[in-house]
Amino acid sequence: MRPLMLQGHERSITQILYNREGDLLFSSSKDNRPNVWFSINGERLGSYNGHQGAIWCIDVDWTSTKFMSGSGDMTLKLWSVETGKSVATIETKSSVRCCNFSFSGNQAAYSTDRAMGQECELSIIDVRTMDSSLNDASPISKIPMIHSKITSMKWFLDDTIITGHENGLIASYDIRMGREINSIKEHTHVIQDLQLSKDMTMFVTASKDATAKLFDVDTLTCLKTYKTERPVNSAAISPIYEHVALGGGQEAMDVTTTSTRAGKFDSRFYHLVYEEEFARLKGHFGPINSLQFHPDGKSFASGGEDGFVRIQVFDQSYHELVFE
Amino acid sequence: MARKRNEEYKGDNEDEEFEEEPVEEFEDPDDFVDDVNDEELLGDLLKKKPCETDGMENVIVVDEIPKVEPARQEKLENVIKKLFTTCGEIVNVYYPKDDNGYTKGYCYIEYKSPAQAEEAVKVYSNYRLDKTHTLLVNIFTDFQKYESIPVEWVPPTAQPYTPTVDLYSFLTEPDAYDQYCVVVDNGSSPSQVQFWQNSLPDPTELHRKDKFTEQTVKWSPLGTYIVAFHKQGVAIWGGPQFQRINKFPHIGTTHVEFSPKENFIVTYGLATASGGSKVIIWDIRTGLEKRSFVADPLAPTSIFRWSHDDKYVASMGDGAIHIYETDTFFLLEKKSVKIPGIRGFAWSPTDNIIAYWVAEQTDVPAKVTLMDIPKKREIRMKNLFNVADCKLHWQKCGDYLGVKVDRFSKSKKGGLKDQDVKFLGMFYNFEIFHMREKDIPVDSVEIKEPIAAFSWEPVGDKFAIIHGEGAGGSNVSFFEAKKGQKVSLVKKMERKSATHLFWSPRGGFIVLANCTQGVFEFVDTSDFTIMNTGDHHGAFQCEWDPTGRYIATGLGAHKVKDDHSYYLWSFQGRLLRRNNLKNFLQLFWRPRPQTLLADAQQKEIKKNLKKYYPQFETKDRLRQTRASKELLEKRAKLREEFLDYRQKRIQDYESLRIKRIELRNNVDTDTLEADKDNLEEEIVECLVKEETTFV
Repeated sequence: MRPLMLQGHERSITQILYNREGDLLFSSSKDNRPNVWFSINGERLGSYNGHQGAIWCIDVDWTSTKFMSGSGDMTLKLWSVETGKSVATIETKSSVRCCNFSFSGNQAAYSTDRAMGQECELSIIDVRTMDSSLNDASPISKIPMIHSKITSMKWFLDDTIITGHENGLIASYDIRMGREINSIKEHTHVIQDLQLSKDMTMFVTASKDATAKLFDVDTLTCLKTYKTERPVNSAAISPIYEHVALGGGQEAMDVTTTSTRAGKFDSRFYHLVYEEEFARLKGHFGPINSLQFHPDGKSFASGGEDGFVRIQVFDQSYHELVFE
Repeated sequence: MARKRNEEYKGDNEDEEFEEEPVEEFEDPDDFVDDVNDEELLGDLLKKKPCETDGMENVIVVDEIPKVEPARQEKLENVIKKLFTTCGEIVNVYYPKDDNGYTKGYCYIEYKSPAQAEEAVKVYSNYRLDKTHTLLVNIFTDFQKYESIPVEWVPPTAQPYTPTVDLYSFLTEPDAYDQYCVVVDNGSSPSQVQFWQNSLPDPTELHRKDKFTEQTVKWSPLGTYIVAFHKQGVAIWGGPQFQRINKFPHIGTTHVEFSPKENFIVTYGLATASGGSKVIIWDIRTGLEKRSFVADPLAPTSIFRWSHDDKYVASMGDGAIHIYETDTFFLLEKKSVKIPGIRGFAWSPTDNIIAYWVAEQTDVPAKVTLMDIPKKREIRMKNLFNVADCKLHWQKCGDYLGVKVDRFSKSKKGGLKDQDVKFLGMFYNFEIFHMREKDIPVDSVEIKEPIAAFSWEPVGDKFAIIHGEGAGGSNVSFFEAKKGQKVSLVKKMERKSATHLFWSPRGGFIVLANCTQGVFEFVDTSDFTIMNTGDHHGAFQCEWDPTGRYIATGLGAHKVKDDHSYYLWSFQGRLLRRNNLKNFLQLFWRPRPQTLLADAQQKEIKKNLKKYYPQFETKDRLRQTRASKELLEKRAKLREEFLDYRQKRIQDYESLRIKRIELRNNVDTDTLEADKDNLEEEIVECLVKEETTFV
């Protein structure tokens, strides 16, 4: 089937995100406006206007009412999904790199860059009441990052956060105690993305060391490795099959010196258990920066450095694929 | 008891000895002969004793120089001097003369250092001064060595027989799998070489040699040997374990050539460690130097051309072809073949015929000539006009000779020198010589566009050319030369991006390759269908296996930073295998000797192919199932392990269910449909397309 091309951004996509039901698709890019789309037909529902800089991260809570975005303009903004109005703006001391709602949607976490004399910090805020009072409210807790900058993170329920770092380290933090529980260094290069499996017992990481790896949430043991020849920017686990999708490609800064064919900008599909690649999907003409399965597992979306978001519904043959 | 007796005995003995100790006398008995020689007595001193040859290590004796009368001596001396100063500064030269003042045919040359003298011996031993004089050079001190050779001949002792390695084991492989070698530059300076067998369903590695060669490797034309390059020279390896067979010490060898029958190897290297170039022809079996030539460093790397049966080797000189007989490595009939204005030549791959072409001169047309060797008889000649350049292309079976002639409609002498000739209005001719027909008829094909590539079908009557260069790409044309008929165009494929042509060694199939982009088109020339188009991005190497069943494409580390890889394809263009190998350099298929079967036998096999077909088919299937069985077993194991782990984790997940529901205000969100009550139906209208039609 022909993919849907969502053309609403002027610059490269930084993140795409389905809401829990999968009817909405959020996207952010280096331009200042996150967008929300109907995933079914690719029609744009609206934009969230207000940021002054590139948007690095977005998240939506499970009820699809709260939306937040972290930006290079040194703010984290919280929005009402429905009205597109900015509800609160939290000023930070450096760019906001990652943000994530907790499982309950009552808490949110964001991390800031190590820049302008500031250390990287992980901050937890209470977002039960979404109004401008949040602007000045101080975070519930702050955890300074001694290892290295956080480049990706996810909540596990409401008391643990798993972080992926610039140096390839993966760590888990107990939020109530404000301390590190565990850490492991399996990757040799920056971890670009970290996504949980549907049952939240495993997560897959995407790293610039050209691999994606599968980890156990509790023990952080590496279960599987998916190898490619190019940096991996995003990896996702199918909610219905034992499949892992990887997106990436030649780094954006080198792209001008290589043609589309050498860049390997395909989305690549691997078997979760056997680590074997079984399919590739062409499309983007720049590296893929973010990739997610639809919650029903029947389609997936990818956002690339080329500024496009593509929604691809799987063919019947994909569902009929059997690994003996 | 025994021991006791023994002790007693011993004791007795001691007593006896004591009694019998002789009284010392210091005088020699009368009949004493002193058998201690000076050597034993003061060997260390004798070593320091000066001898006649001291200071003579710098001196060489050059034999076999011409005997000349006094009037010509100066000229001779100059020639000798010029030759030998290349090895170092000459201090002194002496030419012994007979009573009439004639030189005696040898001379002494003194160098500044013994090293230079040794160098001179190395370089000029067996140097051919002219037709009748081959220099013999020795260090002066060696004469003492030769002096002590016993007069009586002693028969050499028989050496125990050591079986040689089986050089042809690779041909006895029951499934006739072909071999290939892969050169990998793994950081350390000498490269690693891997030997693979292209077995089904997956290739198997036979051997791996670390630090095997300094630059590249080269198979001999029949696949018996592989050459590795080193600083000191080259070595050939072969046999089932790839053992070293022989060494050819030649400093700085950059290029080697084999004779077609693998009797000789030519090394192109340096004359001395410091420079100069030299070409040596070696006998492969004995490892002995047969002949050496001082080469012009500006000359092209490859100067020798071998006849198909190894009988002759030829090189082109100024206005002549030098043909050497390989029995003696002397010129055929002791003289070169004088051909004024010769510009290029080539041996027929199957007959002892040389084709050469002579450039056009004022009022004299250019001509292409076929010459029979050893008779040196002209068997066919063709005059050509307005010729800028010619290229001779023999078809591999020797059935045809294709001459690509670059012609011009106008020429302009430009610049100050007369040699700078500008050609205008270029067009191109192919002169096709039908070698197997009576009187060798010649056909001509004219192409108006520039030719990018030309290639004969190795077995068959077709040739392919890439011509033209437009915005839409170039064209590929196929011509066929039928017996008794004119060469005719059989197919023209337009707008192709191909830059190179690779025919299957068995003919019939061709790969049109774009070696800058790495796009490969697989064409069946029986009906000119494009069977497939393959993409190996950036690949610039393309090699058919010797049987024409597989093709390898390679992207080596000397051209790109990463993505080093080689792919294996079937002849239909199906990608069989991707091999990403860091620092991969090159891949070479191991050649095979020609089949021993006669044409009739081959035809017989082709006819009965259907009979053999099922047999091979079952064999292949069996292998395939075995391989897939292994894969399935591996997968089953992985699955089992993973399920073990998952079982536990699924339980954990279930146990956290209550917590999850609590966290989300008692809404079950575990599955999308879990919370039916809260589901809100929404209708999204999709505007697919709007069209207005005017009636």
